Amino acid sequence: MSAAPPDNDVLWARGIVKSHQGTPALRGISVGVRDGEVLAITGPRGSGKSTLLGCLSALLPVDEGEVWFNSAPVHTLTRTGRERLRRDRFGFVGSEPHLVPELTARENVALPLLLAGAGHKAAYASAAEWLERLDVADCTARRPGELIQSQRQRIAVARALAPLPPVVFADDPTAPLHRDAQDQVLRILITAARSHQLTLVLATHNPELARFADRTVALTDGRLSSPVAPVPRGTSPVSAGR
Amino acid sequence: MLYLRLARGYRIGDLGRWLLTATAAAAVAAFLLRALGRALSEPAGVSVERLFWCLPPLAAVGWFAAVAARALPAARPERITGLTAAGAGPTSIRTLIAGETALACALGSGLTLLAFLVLRNDVAGASLAPEVGLGVPLPVSAPITLLLLVPLVAGGSAAAAFPLTDALPGRSELPHRNGFGALRLALPTGLVLVGLSLELYGLRPGADQDGRPIGLPAGLGATSDAALVGWTFAALGLALLTAPLLAWGGRLLALGRPTPLRLLAGRGLTAEADRLGTPLAVLALALATVLTAIRYWAHRSGTVEAVPAVEATLIVCCAAASVLIRAAHIRSSRREVTAALVQLGTAPRLLLGAAVLRTAAAGTVLLVSGGLTAALAAGVLR
Repeated sequence: MSAAPPDNDVLWARGIVKSHQGTPALRGISVGVRDGEVLAITGPRGSGKSTLLGCLSALLPVDEGEVWFNSAPVHTLTRTGRERLRRDRFGFVGSEPHLVPELTARENVALPLLLAGAGHKAAYASAAEWLERLDVADCTARRPGELIQSQRQRIAVARALAPLPPVVFADDPTAPLHRDAQDQVLRILITAARSHQLTLVLATHNPELARFADRTVALTDGRLSSPVAPVPRGTSPVSAGR
Repeated sequence: MLYLRLARGYRIGDLGRWLLTATAAAAVAAFLLRALGRALSEPAGVSVERLFWCLPPLAAVGWFAAVAARALPAARPERITGLTAAGAGPTSIRTLIAGETALACALGSGLTLLAFLVLRNDVAGASLAPEVGLGVPLPVSAPITLLLLVPLVAGGSAAAAFPLTDALPGRSELPHRNGFGALRLALPTGLVLVGLSLELYGLRPGADQDGRPIGLPAGLGATSDAALVGWTFAALGLALLTAPLLAWGGRLLALGRPTPLRLLAGRGLTAEADRLGTPLAVLALALATVLTAIRYWAHRSGTVEAVPAVEATLIVCCAAASVLIRAAHIRSSRREVTAALVQLGTAPRLLLGAAVLRTAAAGTVLLVSGGLTAALAAGVLR
């Protein structure tokens, strides 16, 4: 085992290599995510953003390299350990909502809380609160099949944020949304991250949306295409309230 | 050639489906050819009734082919998207699937015909002579017409059942119905009540004075028309009630303040009640009828005739395989949901527990519906 990660990095990856059935997706990526920051990972389709997010969020095991979370190794965890980490520490919003179709919106949002062992009443109250914050309070008792895509995506965002995980991963969360809804959902995501001191790792193919982030990492063909360029705090539109 | 190339990509599930279709088709073809052989050796016999007896196994093969074809797009989405990308429209994909099924059936039937022709050369001795029409010239068109029936029925039902909209990539079939309309509940309940009262009327004390005019086939004795009609109504009603029963079972599981296990199992069962209900109802009906008949045979004569026994086995096997295929179909069409749950950090043990709970609930419904049907059938066969 090599040196431990720097202290201010909550999540840290070094030289990770990952391929999907022989197709290389990541070819040696090192990246650190600081505590409480909003990190954007940009790049065109197929550049490895989703795979990087999968490796960082303990969804995919890495082929080579190391991933550390809170000074504990993630790459050596067993499947059960990774499941527990995802359940207790990470939230995830994908580019598709992927809600459970037979559960109502409130049950979908309450599910991660229930899985983590929260009480029924507390989980449902928190779910209702988050649905309200995301402007979908009127969908509480409806099922995903009866809703439109932007409502479903808001519910998916609420599901990821409701347990207030230390790190939230968002893999192109605005892909299914129209422009106005894109900005709104992203603002809610980032405001929630800032107000609850959550770390947000945001992958997006749209460089415009990366302006909301504190820092941007660009990927091309599974490699970092530019050195990590820090954006001074304050220039980002939503960091003003912090 | 195309089918051979497609067959090269078969996995164990496809192979099993293909082999079961071919075997069942071979068995049905054997029944058809036996009816033909008997008709040749005894021209004065009841040949139409014997042909009529080939209908239940033929229907079982058709039902299995339909359920299997319906499950195909969800089980092998890449095959359907590949065919679509290669320029095949929904109709040609449908024709292709129907052809695949018909080919399996034709192969099974062809093997049976070969065996039939071999047996006609007096290799089995005198015992099989009347069954194969030994010594009577065989009109060429007769076996061909009979054997075409199996591929046509199976291929036709596969084509009819193939989901046209799902054949296009990007379409997913998500369950969205939460309940059943008033008609879906009122009709079967009414059928069950009418059937029950008719059967009770047929079984009332002193009913035997009216006689038991309807003779049942396969050595099952005789019964009164009120009892038989009553049983038919009740069995139909119970079969139609299976899906609502499953949905209610799911609601019961998720009652009150459910844990994640009960929530996922119950809601999942309610959502899939419609898809799972139909094959389950068919299996319950087949099992109930067959088990009651076996019990009657064992009680009365102590022996079971070979032909009805093989026929019953074939029907029950097809119905059971259809339930398994439908369960696999539901599982594969929920692949994305399962992946999302895993991403949330749901333990596989929880998912397995939910599946076990759902299976147990479905088994209970099968027992209730099948048990009631069997009890009523026992009343008819008294």
